[in-house]
This record gives sequence, C-alpha cells and structure tokens, in this order.
Amino acid sequence: MTSNDKLIRTENLNLWYGEKQALYDITLGIIPNKITALIGPSGCGKSTLIRCFNRMNDVIDKCKITGKIFFHEHDIYEPDADAVEVRKKIGMVFQKPNPFPKTIYENVAYGSRVQGITNKSSLDDVVEKSLKNAALWDEVKDRLHESAMGLSGGQQQRLCIARSLSIEPEVILMDEPCSALDPIATAKIEDLMTGLKKKYTVIIVTHNMQQAARVSDYTAYMYLGKMIEFGETDQIFENPKEELTENYITGRFG
Amino acid sequence: MVRIMMGKIHLPWKGSKIKEKGMKTLFFLSAISAIIVIFSIIFFLFRDAYPIFQKKGIVDFLIGMRWYPTGQPPLYGAFPLIVDTLLVTLGAMLIAIPLSIGSAIFISEIATPRIKAIIKPAIELLAGIPSVVFGFFGLIVLTTWLQITFDVPTGESWLAGSILLGVMAIPTITSVAEDAISAVPREYKEGSLAIGATRWQTISKIVVPSAMSGITAAIILGIGRAIGETMAVMMVCGNPTYGLIPNPITNVFAPIKTLTATLGIEMGEVATGSDHYSALFGLALILLIITLIVNILATIILGRLKERQRSGSKKQPIISFELGRKIKLSFYLFIGIIIVIILLMAVGIFPTVGILALIAVIYYAMKKISIKIKQKIAFSMISLTIIIVIIFLGIILAYIVTNGVGALSWEFIATGPSNLGRSGGIFPAIIGTLYLVAGAIAISLPLGVGAAIFLHEYTREGIVTKIIRAGADLLNGTPSIVFGLFGFAFFVLYLKFGFSLLAGQITLAFMILPTIIRTTEEALKSVPQSLREGSYALGATKWQTIRKVVLPPAAPGILTGAILGIGRAAGETAPILFTAVVFSDFIPSSVLQPVNALPYHLFTLATSIPGSKQNQAGTALVLLLLVIGIYLIAILLRNRFRKKMKW
Repeated sequence: MTSNDKLIRTENLNLWYGEKQALYDITLGIIPNKITALIGPSGCGKSTLIRCFNRMNDVIDKCKITGKIFFHEHDIYEPDADAVEVRKKIGMVFQKPNPFPKTIYENVAYGSRVQGITNKSSLDDVVEKSLKNAALWDEVKDRLHESAMGLSGGQQQRLCIARSLSIEPEVILMDEPCSALDPIATAKIEDLMTGLKKKYTVIIVTHNMQQAARVSDYTAYMYLGKMIEFGETDQIFENPKEELTENYITGRFG
Repeated sequence: MVRIMMGKIHLPWKGSKIKEKGMKTLFFLSAISAIIVIFSIIFFLFRDAYPIFQKKGIVDFLIGMRWYPTGQPPLYGAFPLIVDTLLVTLGAMLIAIPLSIGSAIFISEIATPRIKAIIKPAIELLAGIPSVVFGFFGLIVLTTWLQITFDVPTGESWLAGSILLGVMAIPTITSVAEDAISAVPREYKEGSLAIGATRWQTISKIVVPSAMSGITAAIILGIGRAIGETMAVMMVCGNPTYGLIPNPITNVFAPIKTLTATLGIEMGEVATGSDHYSALFGLALILLIITLIVNILATIILGRLKERQRSGSKKQPIISFELGRKIKLSFYLFIGIIIVIILLMAVGIFPTVGILALIAVIYYAMKKISIKIKQKIAFSMISLTIIIVIIFLGIILAYIVTNGVGALSWEFIATGPSNLGRSGGIFPAIIGTLYLVAGAIAISLPLGVGAAIFLHEYTREGIVTKIIRAGADLLNGTPSIVFGLFGFAFFVLYLKFGFSLLAGQITLAFMILPTIIRTTEEALKSVPQSLREGSYALGATKWQTIRKVVLPPAAPGILTGAILGIGRAAGETAPILFTAVVFSDFIPSSVLQPVNALPYHLFTLATSIPGSKQNQAGTALVLLLLVIGIYLIAILLRNRFRKKMKW
C-alpha cells in the first residue's frame, strides 16, 4: 500500500498538554471507507489522538503539537490551514451526547445554517436526509420542532451523528460514542456505523474491545501515548505481533 | 465517655443536649434577623409614609405630575421623580449592557488566560470604587466635559447621570453574565466547532443563547443597582427644585431629579412629622418596592438556572426555543421602534430615513461579507468594549491619583480640618470611618455567620431556608438610601439614639449582613461532607463538629466575606447620611455622639465648600486607597484560599 491510499496520515505526531507529553511519535495511516478503531487503556492518548484529526485540541489552552497530519496529502496543521475548513470535512461525535438546547430540527440544520444556507426547503431536505442516514427519522419525524433535550440518550447520540452527517463530511470521528448508552442503544449505533462506511471513513475510539472487534476493519492499539501496533482487526485480535497488545487483548491488564 | 454498667448505657447527654439546643436557637435567631430587618424596614417606611397616603391618596401621590414641596401649596406628585429615575436607568443600561456583555464574552471566550488574569481584577476594582468617589469625579470632570463639548448651559443632566450609572453598573452585569457564559457546557461549544462553525458563530449562536437566562438576570441586577444608587446620581443630575420630566422627553441634557436624589437632598432639611417628611417616606417605599420587584425577578431566574444545572441537562431550558425566538423578535421590534421614535424626535423625518437606509445597507452588506470577516469585525467590536471599560477605569483612577497625590502628607492624614476643610487634614473623618466600620462588622459578623451556620448546618433545604434566603436577598437588593431612612426613623427617632455613631453602625451592619451571610455559606459549602461525617462517627455532637471541624477550614472564606463587608461599609454614604454623620472635626467619645466619615467629608467638600479642590481630591484618594486596599486583601485572601482548598 502506498501512502496515497491513506485518507488521513500522521507523521511523527507529538503532543503536549503544558509540560506533560501525551502523544509520542505517532505515525499512522487511515484507509478510506473503512472503520478504524483506536483501543487502549484509559489515559493512553486515544481520545487525544482522535481530537488531533479535526483540530479539536486547538480549543484547549497550552496544547502544543509537533509533527504532521495529512488529509488528502494536505497538512492540516500548516500555518495557513483553516481549522474550520478541516472540521467541515472531518466531523465528530462525542463521548457524551451533546445536542444543543434547541429543537431537533435546529440541531440538524445548524451546520448548514452556519455555512449561510437559509433556504427553507433545502434545509428541510438536509434535515430529513441526515436523520434518515442516522436511522432516527422514523422516531422523530412528528416532533422535529420539539426540544432535542427530550430525546433518550441513544436518540440524542444518533441526533448528534445526524448533525455531523448534515454537512456531508468525508470522515466521521467517534470518541467513545457508546460509553454513555445502554446495550440496545449501543447495538443501534453499531449497526449504523457499519452502514456509514459505504459513504464515509469512520474512526472510532472505544473502551470496549468487543465493540472494536465487532465493527472495525482496522485496529490501532495505543499505550501510554505510543502507538504499539496497527493492523487489520482480525490480525490484531487473533494474532497480535506485540506482547503488550496481546496482554491487553487477552485481558491480562488494562 | 460511654460507661457501660450492668448492661445499661449511660450517655452524658443531658448537659450537651441543652447546649446543643441553645446553640441551635441562637443560630436560628441570627438567621431570622435578616427577615426581621427587611420587615421592620417595610413597616417603618409604611408607618411614616402613611399620613401622606391618607391625606392625598395613594393614587394621587403616585401619578401626581408635580413634585414641589416648597411651593404654595406644596405639591407631592411622585410621577416625575419615578419617570426621571427610569429615564436615567434606561440611559445607563444603553451604555452598560453592550459594554458589559461585550466584556463578559471577552473575558470568558476570547481572552487568553494571561489577559484574563489582568482584566478580571480590573473590573472588580471598578466595583470597589465608592459611589461618592464616582459622584465626585462626575461632578468635577464629567459634567464640565459635557458642558464644554456639547455647549450646553450646564453638564449636570440626565446624560451625566446615565453615563456615571452605566459605568457603575458594568462590574455587576459583567460578573454575573460572565458566570453564566462560563457555565455553558463545553460539550455545546465542541459540538458546534466540530461541525465547522467558526468561534464567533459558536459564541453568537450557541454560547450566548444558552447563557441567555443568566445574562437576563445580570441585566436585571444591573438595573436594580442603577435604580437604587444615590450619591453619584445626586451629585451629577442637577436636581431641579421641583421634579420635572424632561421636555421634550428625549432631551438628555435636561437636569433631572431621581427618587434617590430627592431623598438624599430633601431628607436633610425636612421637619420631622411634616407632610413633606411623610411624602419622602412614601418615595422611599416606592423605591423599595421597585427594587424589590427587580431583585425578586433576578433571584427567581438565577435560582431556576441553578436548579437546572444541578439536575443535569435533561430538563427543558427555562425559555423554550420557540418562545425564546418570539421574545427575541418582539424585543428587537420594541428596541427598533424606540430607536425610530427617539430619532424622529431628535433629528426629524429626513435624517431618520437616511439613518434607517444606512442601517439597511449595512445589514445587507453584512450578509454578503464572508464568515471570516464577520468574525474579525465581531471580535474587534468585543475587544473595543473591554478597551472602553478599561479606559473609563483608567481616567477615573488617573484623575483622582494625579489630583489627590498633591494633598497627601502626614499632616493631611493626622490633623483635623481647618477653614471648613479647605485646608488642614481629614483625621476625624478617618477615625469616624474606622469607628463606623468596626461597629458595623462587630454587629453583622456574628449575626451573619450565625445565620449562615443555621442555613447550612442545621436545616435541610426547604420552606424555612427559602424564606430566610429570600429575606437576605431582599435585604441585599434594598437601596442604601432606604437603609438610611429606616435608620433615621427607627434608631434616631423611635429608639431615641439621636444622630449617633451607634445608629450609623447598626444601619451599616444591616446593609452588609447579606454579604456576610452569603460568603459564609459559600465557605461552609466548600467544607466536604465527609469531614462532618468523620467527626460524627467519632461521637462528636453537632456543635462540636461545627466548632472544631467545619469552622476552621471555613475561616478564611468567612474572613473574606467580612473584609468585603468592611470595604462596602467604608465606602457607603447614604446609610449614614441621616443617622450618624456631621461635617465637623469632632471625634466622638461615646457611641451616642455623631461622627464625621470619609465619604461624607468628601461629599460635603465637593458639593458645598468652594475652593477646597485639592482637599477634595486628597480625601477621594484616601478613601479610594482605603476601600481598594481592603478589597485587594479580600481578593488575595480568596485566591490563596481557593488554591489551598483543593480537597
């Protein structure tokens, strides 16, 4: 595989929060239209890494990054690269569902509105299409103008997925999207993810090894801010090359 | 201390039980003091206002179009005074709201931590400047500037009052609005940024709307502060002998007379028990009712906000989205209509049409401008607001320091005034202020701490705590001049203390009581529950636990509250105006004698003693240094306390 097959590629990525280094020399390539899972014990840097891909770490004070991240072979941390443009192409779903305190409709329409779309019928279309893609349309179509805060946790998370789909990104980052959900809601989101990879590239951070094994095509194992092993999910789970990976997979620690 | 005798357990509990009960009763009594005070205030105001209501009728008093107590016949119509109060407040809000909300957004969303560390204390500093110092600055600098710049006969006007009040309201609105904005969950912001919204879009479409209830409460509190302010308004608004509504009503250069200023001026020269005296109490009652309503509104909004934060984000927002949109629309419409009317009256039809056309052009141009340029414009405007606020602060401080420093000398501090304060020093005023403040804190500290202990340690949240808290909140919102009138009616006349140190001390004590209660409660809250449980588990009683486990770690917090109270008491003029102070070089030897005080000394020099310029500025500087020094200690203490208390 040449580097051109990779949609997102990091090169010697290091990251510090103030004095504390959180990522060490991460080099990694993400293959398009696949699901890549980042796994590892708490504090290993997997959430930090995923937040680098759409420059969400810019929000945090005292966060310093060296190295490169390429998206379509353009360095997204270049001085004149625009974080806003990056985020339009690389969407994100967070650990805790975070709908805005607005109506269901306005939550999904928000992304289009901030891009200056005011035409009602095109907004309607975006809302319907995104909610359908997030498998939420049937549950909410009769109450689009009610507050999103009234939805269940699982519905809220699917709403957030619909919200990130609404601006048609190429990549969707999911930071432990099911950690606040019950098993039934989790199953729904996992089904959804498998469907999404036809159109999108998905990167998911998860605590749950079974989940990684179930949904992902590639898996990266991280430990203490370092990338220990990266490969196809089957290989990682059945035949890990590194002892650290094996220990974690087999539950000997973690 | 448990002895087991033949299977029976003897607990030495009789003695301690009595003590426990005694302490609880004591704390309960201090807790209800706030309610007793607020009811006494209402009662005494009403009692002394009643004769005029009876004589003229409440309605006539309220809507009477003329206030002219020295006329023949005397006229007691409160309406123009109420209108003037509202006008000066409206003007103040037009200045304060954009500046405060801009500053709040700047501090919480835009400033880097280092800039924030400078700006925040600067705005707190602005809050620490005593109102009489603002008034002094307004009288000497602002009104003169207005007079020259706009070529009007006098600068003492509605506009001067509004500018000064606007600046004074900025810290209140900014700090409450900033709390509200900072409390918006980070998840909302990240959600918005992650979907490709710019920082400004995130702020304007997500953060500020989510903080809207808190911002509303901040504005309402600012309004309350502006309506109740006395000294500054009294010194710069002109106060025509008879209260009049400006003619035309948009004439911002007209001198006006607010409720508080009327009380401040006329209370000193009125015969006790006369119609005029009673009418003034009627005004105070109106003033109290207006400010109480305003403060209750703010308290309700903030209370519901807190409840919502506690119960998580599941609940519906207080103002639902659809309703919010309707409110916003009607608000814009309302503001728009007001602006159009003001423009029409001020400049006539054609310029108005021109201005409106210009606004429309700008509006459509804004739509075409790229999102990035919009963000740049918005951020520059917001930075501009904070720069304006800092410039205000800078000008006031610079004026007082440069003019006052010449007067400062050991002699100025340590000797009495001569030639009516034109020369000599301010020693008696310094001593008087210290006496007043010491007495006030000696009374309010035990009461306030006791009340807070009762609220936090002895009761569960319920109807009792709600009533007591409401009492403290109402007391907190009561204008200082109303305390002054109450002190006069109750201590000076009814209890026959006369004009005395004691009357002033108790009046000031009541005024700072709510501050002490609130800060003490915060301090008690910061002591973790596990510490108390640890103590109970060792068999300690409630009072033992409070005394030995809860109070020691809470002490710095309580001290901070006490210092804040001292700072406020030292700078206040209105409450002591009719209870304790005389303009003299007299140093009292008993609490039943009158005193001089720094703020009052400054007020008298600035308003009645021509040719005392240098000593005015010197007194202002000493007062400023004293009050700001006190606040600085409180802020340092609080910061140290916060750092240390990471449980």
